[in-house]
Amino acid sequence: MHPPLTSRILLVRTAVAAMLLVAVMLACALIGPQDISLKSALGMTQSNAAPTPDHEILVRVRIPRVLLAAMVGAALAASGVVFQALLRNPLADPYILGVSSGAGLGAMIAVVGGLSWTLWGRSPIAVFAFAGALGTVWLVWGIGRITGRYQVTGLLLAGVVVNAFFSAMIMFLVSIAKSHQLYATLFWLMGNMTEEDFFVLWVGGGCITAGIIALFFLGPQLNIISVGHEDAQSIGVPVARIELAAFAVSAFITAVAVSLSGLVGFVGLIVPHAVRLLFGPDHRQLLPLSSLAGAMFLVIADTVARMVVAPAQLPVGVVTAMIGGPFFLLLLIRYSKRVYWPT
Amino acid sequence: MTTVIQIEEVSFGYGSQRPVLSHISVGVPRGVFLAVVGANGVGKSTLLRIMSGLLRPRSGQVLLEGRELYSYGIRGIAQRIAVVRQEFVPAFGFSVLETVLMARTPGYGPLGFESKEDRALATKALEMTDTARFASRPLGALSAGERQRVFIARALAQNTPILLLDEPTSFLDLKHQVAIYDLLKSTQQQAGTTIVAVTHDLNLAAQYCDEALLLYPSAGEPKADAGLAANHRLGSVSEVLTPPEIQRAFGVQVFSGRIGRARFVMPLGARAKDADFSGRSG
Repeated sequence: MHPPLTSRILLVRTAVAAMLLVAVMLACALIGPQDISLKSALGMTQSNAAPTPDHEILVRVRIPRVLLAAMVGAALAASGVVFQALLRNPLADPYILGVSSGAGLGAMIAVVGGLSWTLWGRSPIAVFAFAGALGTVWLVWGIGRITGRYQVTGLLLAGVVVNAFFSAMIMFLVSIAKSHQLYATLFWLMGNMTEEDFFVLWVGGGCITAGIIALFFLGPQLNIISVGHEDAQSIGVPVARIELAAFAVSAFITAVAVSLSGLVGFVGLIVPHAVRLLFGPDHRQLLPLSSLAGAMFLVIADTVARMVVAPAQLPVGVVTAMIGGPFFLLLLIRYSKRVYWPT
Repeated sequence: MTTVIQIEEVSFGYGSQRPVLSHISVGVPRGVFLAVVGANGVGKSTLLRIMSGLLRPRSGQVLLEGRELYSYGIRGIAQRIAVVRQEFVPAFGFSVLETVLMARTPGYGPLGFESKEDRALATKALEMTDTARFASRPLGALSAGERQRVFIARALAQNTPILLLDEPTSFLDLKHQVAIYDLLKSTQQQAGTTIVAVTHDLNLAAQYCDEALLLYPSAGEPKADAGLAANHRLGSVSEVLTPPEIQRAFGVQVFSGRIGRARFVMPLGARAKDADFSGRSG
């Protein structure tokens, strides 16, 4: 099936995927409702005195947006990998333990409360979403711990119930919200990219990159943890510590991603699956390749979201679900013979 | 013979339920093949978990080579004790080789890859268990017996002097049951490994194991006078796996006979064809 992974194969594949990502990002930065040429954007046709309009569009609009999509996609895919491993469940995604509904509830409270201050350039929606996401994961994790240390079922059920409860509260707030507040909220709940300023990109990108790199080092341990909690401990892996670290880091990068882009669905579920189907389940490889593939996928999806109804825009979550769903089914049919699902 | 694992006055219960084990004291001699037998729910698997450090007893202590078990730490215990649980299909499609190599995970370098020695240990374990032939196949594509051999290979790759197994042959057919016990016996004889196996198969235990630990159903109940009725018995298989002992532990009448060196037992319920032979020995 898959030849055993060596550090050399891993390095080559990661490098190829990284180059592919750069190429995709460049191409997508040049695509948009407004045609721009790379030449004029780089300021080769005019004197250096004033930047060309193409340059302005590329640097102030396109590049920030492409960067944002890349880091959100990478964060969601990486934490999808981790959640699936920790819960030993191929159907898990980064939102399964309440990040999405917690963030959504936070965002709705900010909207309905009519808050208008900013914190380090971030709107109250983003701040509340971030806090709601982390608070909810912490709550679900705590309930899971009470229901049983070695049973993931309790944790999963806690996540499902908290998600349902918070979704009801979101719908309650939507019902009492004023109509002018609803449009932005709807886009946020479906996942939407906007042009962020570079400070936000640096901070968010820094957090996400650091988190993903930290997760890379947990790859070998995640392999055995994905087989079983007790298997990992009897082999000599400090399971409790590794699980807590992996959960905390992936919940954190998911919360950062969600606070930047709203609830972009599907990336965290299908990208890890697609990469696993193509390259096997080894987490040392699955983490870097899924992060890069998730970044590519969301950059492309966001480009589609900018283009199909131009000059208007679609929420990117609509696109990820619409191209992600069929694409995933195709992959599943094509490669499922290689993968053996537990019965 | 020195004692490798010493269990002293161990009691354990899950949550607020009544204790599963109470005041168990057992010494496992070095290099022995020990069968742990007893009725369902009597605490066999719990005892195995306590021996491997996965559970901490409520009271009493576990000594490994004369030292408190938990003082070795997770990594230290894993360098001395490997555990094989009942075979199952993991959630993700790891191959046989990948699964066996996982045993070496704690010793991986900073880049997260195995060393030459790790690979050599895995290869040796694959050969010993006759699983090298399908090293690249995913676990889900194997039969239950093959899969159990892979989990044993993983435990062997851990390269420990002690091996604990929880019902290693419970879902296997005769051929694979025998193959697993032959493999365990040869590991014990060649490498001097101490093996503790929870099993329901009294006859295989009689044929392959040196000693047996029989847990009686009363094991979990707190007794008024702990000195009077023992809740477990440890001894050589020929002493322990006798009709009266088995009847006491399982509440089942058996017919017992001897082939050569080891005794066999045949459970005979009230409606069995040979029910009137129960309680006799041939």
